[in-house]
Amino acid sequence: MIDARDIRKEYGGFVAVQGSSFSVDRGEVFGIIGPNGAGKTTTLKMLAGLLEPTSGSAEIAGLDTETAEMRQQLGFLPEESPLYEEMTPISYLKFFADLYDVDPDVAEERMHDTLDELELEHRDRKLGDMSKGMKRKVAIARSLINDPDVLIYDEPASGLDPLTTNYVIEFTEQLANEGKTIVFSAHNLFHVESICDRVVIMNEGEIVARGDLEELQAEYGHTRYHVYTTVDVPDAVQENGSYKRVVESMDAVEETRERAEANGGDVVDIRTEESSLEEVFLNVAEAGTRGTRYVEEDAE
Amino acid sequence: MQLDTLLRVAKWEVTKNAGGVDKRTILVMALSLVAMGAVAAIAVSGGTGAGMDDGIYRIGVDESSPYYGVAADDSTFDIREPDPAAVERRQQELLYRGTQLRSVPRTAKERAALTELRDSTAQYNDRTLARDDNQTAAFPVSVTLVYEQQSGSSQLDPRSGDGSGGSDSSDGSGSSTGGSGDGSDTSGTGGSAASGGGDSGTAGGSGANLGAIGARLTGDVQGGTPSDISPPFPFESLVLAFLYIVPMNFVIQAYGSSMLSERLNRRGELLLVTPASRGDIIGGKTLPYLAGAVGVAALITAALRFGNIAPAGSYVAVLAVVPLVVLFLSATFCGAMFARSFKELTFVTVTITVTLTSYAFVPAIFTDVTPIALISPLTLVVLDLTGQSVGLSSFVFSTVPPLLTGLVLFGLGAGLYREEDMFTQRPIPLKVLDALAGGINSRRSALKMSIVLLPLVIVAELAAIAFLFVLDSVSLNVFGTNQSLGIVLVLGVIVIIEELAKSLHVYAGYEHARYERTLRSALGIGALSGLGFFIGEKGLLIARLSDLESLPIGEAALQGATLPAGLPLWVAGLLFMLPLALHTVTAAISSVGASRGRRAYVAALTVAIVIHFAYNFTVVSTLV
Repeated sequence: MIDARDIRKEYGGFVAVQGSSFSVDRGEVFGIIGPNGAGKTTTLKMLAGLLEPTSGSAEIAGLDTETAEMRQQLGFLPEESPLYEEMTPISYLKFFADLYDVDPDVAEERMHDTLDELELEHRDRKLGDMSKGMKRKVAIARSLINDPDVLIYDEPASGLDPLTTNYVIEFTEQLANEGKTIVFSAHNLFHVESICDRVVIMNEGEIVARGDLEELQAEYGHTRYHVYTTVDVPDAVQENGSYKRVVESMDAVEETRERAEANGGDVVDIRTEESSLEEVFLNVAEAGTRGTRYVEEDAE
Repeated sequence: MQLDTLLRVAKWEVTKNAGGVDKRTILVMALSLVAMGAVAAIAVSGGTGAGMDDGIYRIGVDESSPYYGVAADDSTFDIREPDPAAVERRQQELLYRGTQLRSVPRTAKERAALTELRDSTAQYNDRTLARDDNQTAAFPVSVTLVYEQQSGSSQLDPRSGDGSGGSDSSDGSGSSTGGSGDGSDTSGTGGSAASGGGDSGTAGGSGANLGAIGARLTGDVQGGTPSDISPPFPFESLVLAFLYIVPMNFVIQAYGSSMLSERLNRRGELLLVTPASRGDIIGGKTLPYLAGAVGVAALITAALRFGNIAPAGSYVAVLAVVPLVVLFLSATFCGAMFARSFKELTFVTVTITVTLTSYAFVPAIFTDVTPIALISPLTLVVLDLTGQSVGLSSFVFSTVPPLLTGLVLFGLGAGLYREEDMFTQRPIPLKVLDALAGGINSRRSALKMSIVLLPLVIVAELAAIAFLFVLDSVSLNVFGTNQSLGIVLVLGVIVIIEELAKSLHVYAGYEHARYERTLRSALGIGALSGLGFFIGEKGLLIARLSDLESLPIGEAALQGATLPAGLPLWVAGLLFMLPLALHTVTAAISSVGASRGRRAYVAALTVAIVIHFAYNFTVVSTLV
């Protein structure tokens, strides 16, 4: 559904994104994570047709990202979406429905259904008088007014309180379940982990890791073993009547067993714990950068 | 660009902003309109509408006196029963018995009252004679006035039209009838030039037309007497031009705010991801303001026409305003794309208001005085309102340069109407470079850009001529030549404008890494820019549509595009090719400087300007 081929973006001599390639299947939820300034937003804006790649190309549903036909199929939610504050949610959504050439009756029904699902009250209040959470809901409703196949959401829960954040994430998950293809970026990796099928990790404008969660854990994470014994062993803590020691290799597990047996005890349970996406991300980030982000100017 | 999408954006631009105007703003706008209406009313009534001097002179006169009718027709007089005692008590300024003045004016007010009565009597006699069936008897002496076109711009004769003065003659020949005054206390009125024909002054030449509308504007419906013929200042042109210019300044304020608000806090970003193109968005957001400004111009024209102030006003006046509206809006659009805040936008719009109002307003003051007036489309408005025909060539000359300039400015601003330029907070000079760099793709862009920017050059040069032509009569000894100060200054300004037009986009190209910073590349790009300018410069031939070259300053300013008549063929050929060499050389110099950074560019540009000025000055001193 989405195909990015070696897209690169330079601003003057600064390389914001260095030749990224990835594809997203229909109905897939694709996450882009990375630290601030990693190039996530620039990548999303290139996909949305807002920024023209300096080189490379991107297509959505086989259409170049700069065509009106592609934009007709796209719902874009930027990290910050300031609204026309003098308008009401209804007039604002009608305005965009008009621009997307949505039939007025269909638009009317769709906007009220979406606002109902988002539980947005006070639809005749001016947007300037609304809270940030309410505005975000209106912005999400706007991204759906044309019933797009593809959604590009940049930090959809940015700056919202925990309650509204959970609501927005759940709503996004619901959209994914309805079959929308979603490209999603977020700082909160728990959210990404909970709804994304695949993830790329960007750092310094470059994709430094990619795959589904298991693949990333296998490559960049590690497995911890929780070894439970009947007797105390070094580095163990007492837990529910037994002793637990956390180790990171099978050799250490064997060593723990030997120590327990030497003390007259035994191992009663071994449990495994995989790295979280956050740990994977930190491991990848610690691996450092691979190249410079500045283009050398040709000297005469 | 799709019309239906553009119209949708336009519809929502109106709806959105209508909801955003608060009561205080509406109140301010209403007060402004009332104030403008009051100004217009005062102007139309000739400044007497408020009746400040009504009844200030008390005159004792009975109905049997011939002066009774004179005083009754003049609102400054308060007619009372003749009473010598009242004169003694200073309660009457004048006292008449029959035709005899029975009081002796001793105070300043009494003397002023007598002078006013004499003026009123003269006008009363003119009106009476004009109504006489036997005009030959009324005006036995016929005087033919012929106005000669003056050479040189310092001869500011506001009646130097086509030679046909105000007349009631049906053939418009300009012949006027006059008569001898009665020699009594009518101040020696010599006759009436436009009397007897009622309102027929509009049928004559330009001078008569302006006189006629001036008469309406000042309330002097009689007009036509020798004292009316040559007022030193074209008040009527000023008032008419003012009426059309003022509303545009209100429109661009609203337009600039709307455009800038799209940029602040990234509000306009979401429009850019809709199927609407940049052109749809800009066009849609501009259309309501364009329509509004043109609509206001149409309303003003209609009000003047049906209010019988300018009965000749027609669609020509409205059409002539369109390029000005486009120019005002496009400059504001660029300003809104360059400004980083409303504070900066205020500075930009004030600059635009002052500059463009001067461009439109100043030349229009000299309607019927000098061909320079045609530089401004407002001159066409004044001509149309005064019933003078506007030729197609004059219309093209006045309207095409500002219209094309407006379109170029819209193009430059549209180059910035994209995500990566729209929301950046770069200083205005860098934004200007961004806008110029937007049109550069390859070396050949240098040629294209020099041609594209030509309308801006033409308008700037025409404006320079309009502002500096008054200095044409001041001589200046420069390098042993006796040139006018106006010509020297206009040459200097034009050289700076042209060298900037040729090199600034090249510098922008280097700053945005669109060109290679090599000497060979710089020379090639400079040569292309010079060639483009040479080709585009022929657009100045549009000046042929006016009589601008009849003025020394116009001839000097346009010598790059036109050739003096009567030259041998080889000289003409040489003069035709020399500008090409000049433009390519100076553009190449600037380009080499631009390729080496800002300071080198400024230094190289200065050298190019000096060379260009020396060339122009030599040509003008030799040939013009």
